[in-house]
Amino acid sequence: MHEAESGLPKAAEGQGVARVVAITAVILLVAGSTPGQASGFTSGWEVVESGTSEDLLTAANFGGQVWAFGTGGVILNSIDNGISWENTDSPTTSDIRYSDSDFGSLIISGDSGLVLLKSGVDAEWTDISLPGDSQVNGISLTGGQSAIAVGNNGTIWELEEGEWTEISLSIESDLLGVSFIDENLGIVVGSDGTILFSDDGGENWEYREAPEGASDSNIVSVEFYSSTRIYAITDDGSILISMSNVVTGTDVGYVWTLVEFERHYPPGTNEYILGPENLDVELTSVEVVSTSKLLMTGAGGYLSMSINGGTIVSQQINPLGNETSFNGIVMVTGFTGIAIGDGGSILWTDNAGADDQVGFVVPEYGNFGVFVDETKEMFLSGFIATLKIVAFGIVLGFFLGVTLAMCKTSPTSLRYIVERYEPRNVRIVGIPILGAGIFQIYSAIPGTTDLGLQGIEYIFLPVGAPESFLRILLGIALTFVGLLFLSNDGEFAKIRIKSISLNPWRVRPLNTIATVYTDFFRNTPLIVQFLFIHFGVRLGALIQGPGLDIFSFENLEGNHNFLTDIFARYDYSESNYGTLVGGVLYDSAFISAICALGFNSGAYQCETIRGAIQAIPSAQMEAGRSIGLTYLQTMRRVIMPQAIRICIPPMGNEMVNLVLNSSLAMIIGYAELTRQGKLIVASTFQYAYAWGMVLISYFVVTWTLALFLRWMEEKTRIPGLGMTGGN
Amino acid sequence: MSGKVLEINDLHMVYSGGVHAVRGISFNVNEGESVAIIGSSGSGKSTVLRCINRLIEPTGGEIYLKGEQVNTPHTDINNLRSRIGMVFQSFELFAHLKVLDNVTLGLRQVRKMSKREAEEQALAVLERVDMLDRIDAYPGNLSGGQKQRVAIARALAMKPEVLLFDEPTSALDPELIGSVLKTIRGLADEGMTMVVVTHEISFARDVADRVIYMDQGVVAETGPSSIIDNPETERLKKFLSSINEEN
Ligand SMILES: Nc1ncnc2c1ncn2[C@@H]1O[C@H](COP(=O)(O)OP(=O)(O)O)[C@@H](O)[C@H]1O
Ligand SMILES: [Mg+2]
Repeated sequence: MHEAESGLPKAAEGQGVARVVAITAVILLVAGSTPGQASGFTSGWEVVESGTSEDLLTAANFGGQVWAFGTGGVILNSIDNGISWENTDSPTTSDIRYSDSDFGSLIISGDSGLVLLKSGVDAEWTDISLPGDSQVNGISLTGGQSAIAVGNNGTIWELEEGEWTEISLSIESDLLGVSFIDENLGIVVGSDGTILFSDDGGENWEYREAPEGASDSNIVSVEFYSSTRIYAITDDGSILISMSNVVTGTDVGYVWTLVEFERHYPPGTNEYILGPENLDVELTSVEVVSTSKLLMTGAGGYLSMSINGGTIVSQQINPLGNETSFNGIVMVTGFTGIAIGDGGSILWTDNAGADDQVGFVVPEYGNFGVFVDETKEMFLSGFIATLKIVAFGIVLGFFLGVTLAMCKTSPTSLRYIVERYEPRNVRIVGIPILGAGIFQIYSAIPGTTDLGLQGIEYIFLPVGAPESFLRILLGIALTFVGLLFLSNDGEFAKIRIKSISLNPWRVRPLNTIATVYTDFFRNTPLIVQFLFIHFGVRLGALIQGPGLDIFSFENLEGNHNFLTDIFARYDYSESNYGTLVGGVLYDSAFISAICALGFNSGAYQCETIRGAIQAIPSAQMEAGRSIGLTYLQTMRRVIMPQAIRICIPPMGNEMVNLVLNSSLAMIIGYAELTRQGKLIVASTFQYAYAWGMVLISYFVVTWTLALFLRWMEEKTRIPGLGMTGGN
Repeated sequence: MSGKVLEINDLHMVYSGGVHAVRGISFNVNEGESVAIIGSSGSGKSTVLRCINRLIEPTGGEIYLKGEQVNTPHTDINNLRSRIGMVFQSFELFAHLKVLDNVTLGLRQVRKMSKREAEEQALAVLERVDMLDRIDAYPGNLSGGQKQRVAIARALAMKPEVLLFDEPTSALDPELIGSVLKTIRGLADEGMTMVVVTHEISFARDVADRVIYMDQGVVAETGPSSIIDNPETERLKKFLSSINEEN
């Protein structure tokens, strides 16, 4: 059926002009208002008076108080969560470098083997120093009176009942950090990517493999945060993470990965460096505040925070400037804490150190004009982002839809493929196919038992790991084809089993594949497809990596053009020479969003196009073939041009759906219109204005699209064919 | 006498539903000869024609075009089809293409001619079918007779070795039939080899060199066009009288 409104009556032309004017007016309104007030950031850290000018090197929470230690044996203490500080009597003048508190005790260590223990807030320091030539690089309590210290050349000291024993490992590397979560589980890190793990309180240590890319790095600090998570940092600006995995039953500390950085924000800005290889700073300490929230310090006044396990790192404004380096952060609560640094510097925060975003003036968002002024840039960027995924999504979806529809309607059966070859040759080809099929099944079988899964809860993993499952499916398909080819005698007969008879030669492989594809994408929720494609398959990142290798700055420098700019656009200006600033490959979420939208829409478009192809009389195909056109030529020149015309109206629905569905891309963090709307609401609290504007923006897009399709329909109508309801 | 263009031996067609539509048909068509196939509806005439250029796959027998076997998987069927012209009962013009483009499509895509060459050749055949004045029309805006003439031009443009007509006038209003028959007659006079399935008995008698009468999937009677006036078999007699009654 054609839409009732196809074929615009002549009288509607005046309306058409009015529409164009209306759209233009909306766009001008959004784009043309005066620039908004500049806004900035203030640091989330406050400078507090420490009363010393010694370098502060380590800090700890102990007995409801905050402690800071430093050069010359300085020991500071604060009873009000780090706001005011008192210099306490120190039993030493050596530099104190490391500290740990747990099990009701506080232990510190420093130069010349210094180790002091305090087993209660009011208890005195007991001196339990190591021999004077020991160089301690880290210390961690494993009990009220027991501890593990680490040093150079693989040395580990174990403290038990006031006695140190040296555990020597046959390791050359210097050990640089140690962290225990309880009496038993502990981790030691060191140079050359050394990671050691103990589950017996430090008695025995097992070597654990550092992730690729960190095997030569100095891992300088580690925090065993919980039984599910350990974080470590390197002095070349990388973060290592180890997690337990419930599905595979792997405990924490076994598998280590490098955090892949998505964004690194320089201090005080919303502009970020995309996907840096490392943080480009010598990291000195890490404080894990919650499972995925970290605070880090580094050389050159570096202070940063991540609230998602390190993938997005925001550098915080250091109110003391970059000359003052920080050596440690300790949080009293999730939000209150201190950072300590050189020259007696102490910074205090009660918002976890996050910079506050401040406008120089507080705009009156309740006034619509002001609201538009303040938010139009965000709207516009969201609008453009939405247009971008929609445009690419439509192209990808249409291409896929046509291909799949052709596959589904193609008559290419197995018989058709092989009948022109001698049966003997077909049988010969069958042998390697059968072999490959059996090999796939055989080699996938171990994977099915690897996991040792038992019980009904694993009903969705009937054959174990997903990869094995897919390989078994592939193996079965290949075995089937192989056996069939081997049985070929040129007859292509049916197989009869009792009253059932079927002909395996009539299987149409292209159709089968396309059917599986469309059934899958049409029977699963799009939002889950987004999540699976972006986070599960990591398709965006998978495409972005090799894509940027091809469209790298080195390759494009000097011969970039508008086509390569579509893929990757670099900045060629003096100041930012060579930074990636745009193009499809700029953002992995963008790529994933296009793919998810396109794949999904392709499945639906396929059915629409297939319906249109089936509406073309089969005699048209015969007519094409009868003048000698091949099947594909007839499809391309005769069937498709007619089918596409038929399916323009339903296709319009698909495209409008695609636009509306694009709002789901916000779930993977793509900054499209809806996400921008959410952010605008968060900062202005103008729900009606913000969501209203978002609605209108979508309407403008879909409406323009609908008008365009109506125009297309009109333009491509074949004279004398079909009911139009007009001229 | 010149050689055989088409040779059909013991042709069988069993449709997948089990209908045995053609049960062992053999006949030859010589160069320049026009053969008319007549017979009642459902007797298998269309099936035979469609088997000849393999729009359907015969289930038995052999078909040769100038000695080359048509129905084996090894032939280049697209090439063979381009040498066998086919005109359908319901025209089957490409509705989205103008008349001229309908005719040039095969020339450009199959014969790989340049646009100019193809158009020249197309204009020549369109002139033969007297359609020169409507080359820019879309099929939807043509009358039935004009459509069928364009369809003939489309087949003719490929310079086929044999032309197959499947009831070319059955879908036409009586007053339009004449122009199409005239066109076909002209082709026969020029020596075009053709096989015409038709219900126009007088046309078969006047134009065809030979008539084949099919009944229930077999050739019931065959001979020169004079058999229409002097049928030998009862079946043909009956068929002819039933047709005469109609008219
Ligand atoms: N595609 C088909 N599938 C099954 N049976 C068919 C098909 N086409 C034709 N037939 C049957 O084959 C017989 C011959 O049909 P056809 O060749 O079209 O006869 P005619 O052209 O002489 O009227 C008829 O009984 C018809 O029902
Ligand atoms: Mg017929």
